[in-house]
Amino acid sequence: MVIRRRLFLLAFPWSAIRGTRGLFSNSAPSNWTKVVSDAEKIVGYPTSFMSLRCLLSDELSNVALHVRKLVGTQHPLLNTARGFVYDSRNNLQMRGLVVLLLSKAAGPSHTASELLAHDMHPQVLSGFLSHRVDLKEWTVSDGPLKDMQLGNKMAVLSGDFLLANACSALAQLNNTKVVELISSAIGDLVQGIYYENLSNTENRRTNGIDVASWEEQMFLSHGALLAKSCQAAMELAKHNKEMQMLAYKYGKHLSLSHKVSLSDLLTKHHLPQNLRNLGHLADIHSLFSLLNKAKTSRNQLDYSKLLAAVKSEKGVSSAVDLCCYHSNKALEAIQAFPSSEARSALENIASTITKF
Amino acid sequence: MAAPWWRHCRRWSTVCMNMSSYETVWHFNGRSVSSSAFLLGQVSWSSRPGNERQPPASPAQRNQRMSSFTSSITRNKAQILGPTLQSCWCRTIHSDAKHKDPFTLAQRDLKSLYDDIKKELFVSRQELKFLCDYYFDGKGKAIRPMIVVLMARALNIHSNRDGDLLPGQRAIAMISEMIHTASLVHDDVIDGSDRRRGKRTINEVWGEKKAILAGDFILSAASMALARIGNNMVVKVLCQVLEDLVRGEFMQLGSKENENERFKHYLEKTFKKTASLIANSCKAVSILVNSDPEVHEIAYQYGKNVGIAFQLVDDVLDFTSVASQLGKPAAADLKLGLATGPVLFACQQFPELHAMIMRRFSCNGDVDQAWQYVLQSDGVQQTNYLAQHYCQEAIRQISMLRPSPERDALIRLTEMVLTRDR
Repeated sequence: MVIRRRLFLLAFPWSAIRGTRGLFSNSAPSNWTKVVSDAEKIVGYPTSFMSLRCLLSDELSNVALHVRKLVGTQHPLLNTARGFVYDSRNNLQMRGLVVLLLSKAAGPSHTASELLAHDMHPQVLSGFLSHRVDLKEWTVSDGPLKDMQLGNKMAVLSGDFLLANACSALAQLNNTKVVELISSAIGDLVQGIYYENLSNTENRRTNGIDVASWEEQMFLSHGALLAKSCQAAMELAKHNKEMQMLAYKYGKHLSLSHKVSLSDLLTKHHLPQNLRNLGHLADIHSLFSLLNKAKTSRNQLDYSKLLAAVKSEKGVSSAVDLCCYHSNKALEAIQAFPSSEARSALENIASTITKF
Repeated sequence: MAAPWWRHCRRWSTVCMNMSSYETVWHFNGRSVSSSAFLLGQVSWSSRPGNERQPPASPAQRNQRMSSFTSSITRNKAQILGPTLQSCWCRTIHSDAKHKDPFTLAQRDLKSLYDDIKKELFVSRQELKFLCDYYFDGKGKAIRPMIVVLMARALNIHSNRDGDLLPGQRAIAMISEMIHTASLVHDDVIDGSDRRRGKRTINEVWGEKKAILAGDFILSAASMALARIGNNMVVKVLCQVLEDLVRGEFMQLGSKENENERFKHYLEKTFKKTASLIANSCKAVSILVNSDPEVHEIAYQYGKNVGIAFQLVDDVLDFTSVASQLGKPAAADLKLGLATGPVLFACQQFPELHAMIMRRFSCNGDVDQAWQYVLQSDGVQQTNYLAQHYCQEAIRQISMLRPSPERDALIRLTEMVLTRDR
């Protein structure tokens, strides 16, 4: 893990340059961290989100070379790349872990699902992180125009590259049903992101959207891949349709619960986006004023202040309820699996989300 | 005439040394075509490691062979490039009654192509649906699906069946067009193009982000359709295409200092960006009907060689065609900083081009200057010859299949690839 992480820093130097620190590194180790590391012990080794093979490939180092030129500019790809590093402990990695745990909980023979969790899954996600970058029309004031356009190219290409790699990894699994599942999840992701953009521009200033369409949107952009990966893991291990559906449900509700949870809100570095998502449920204006209140003199966020402030908000309690609802649904789905260490880890993951 | 040819051929042979044997160069057009590998037909791409290199011929042999090489090229030039060069697709259709017209022959299988694709692109959001359907308007040439269905029928007949397409083969024709279109949408974002097929591009009208997502969605739909065919080997073969497309795009971002390397780089990029899709789609339809790897290889080699020829001609048209015919602005490649075949050949006559290639035509006046050099040189002609060689190798490959109207149409198609003007 340490070595991989070093490799990553080699390839993506800006994280060291900018020195942005992840939340977990300065807050006390939370329940969450413990749950994850306990779960990792069950699977046998830490789940790194990017395979070595991918990092060492020519093309990605090529990207890194080009992206180096962007350091010091304002191109959003840099934030995304930084996100690769810091999201890894929380999101990408967690998802891979869930898939591994599920296949372990369901029964023997999970080598193929390891491939799924290690090679394909993270690449799809990171591919989309690149494509999620807000590409904008650059003007001279943004810095050297050529660099910015280069950044756009790199965002498209590195995203395509990771997706193509993911497809190849998928093909190696020799199961077309799994290929179909993951492809459809990619389609869902695209629709979700597209939908997200539209609602950000159209609905942001209005009163937000109702819970049902928020859930639909969040499922598409965040839950579908996990849910379908869980299902695919069952398919790979030749478990029956019923088990597949249960795994799918666990993945779906876990990711929705995670999405509503405050832990998600606070572990992501691009906070305003999450506040906005939550804001649809609560009152967006008060949330933004909270955000301002929680800022320190050096214009940085004091997360503990923010957490306390957010918790005390009225609108947030409905979000908490929703979070618990999905967490319970996930727990319900996993009950049908035989009792095992892996199952308790999955239970822990689902229930820890609701402990704020 | 002979003197400059000497020069070019010598340069050529050094290029070829990297990829193919000396021996093959001299046999390329006429005498022992069938016994030796063809000029560039044996270029091994990443899939086939290790070319055998044969020692160069002695100077005397070389001279002797050179003369036959030169004369055959001149003859060939007159034959193929002469009267038909500027004629359009439709005129060439009737010029040779012996071979069936590929378009007519493929028509029955392609009637519902675009409707089928639109059905695959199932989206609830109206705008995204509109973007995804944008290029499937029936105005494209659909040359990839055409090659795929003709190849499928030729292979079916070769495999002792009736010609009718298997459902999976039909799907591959559709998927090939979807992958192609998705890559166009992303390429336009990367290149910042504003026109495509006589329309404004998606990135121009709706912005880059939506264009990227639309491309991604088309790709995901294609890969779902691919998975539903239910054949793992077919999935792997077409996944290779996706990797090649991205790698080709990366290759396009870099340039090589060394001249020979640069040509190799160009041909490899051309394979990855254009030919891989055609080659692997052809291979995929062969996998579905025939278990013999040699048959797969014939299909693959035909697709590869036709694909490279197709792109070489495309690169020529960037210099010779007027904007309205191509559906995109002329000299587009130069403006993007890309040195294609005609420029690389012209560089042999005008070394001044070297510096421009290295700075990707970024200085004021570079594009115009390079354009002039190319037109003054025989870069266009030479690129056309090169395309011919690839087509001949394609013909050699496809001729190994049992005769059928579709096989003959594929032979006919190579000629149309060379003579197209849009």
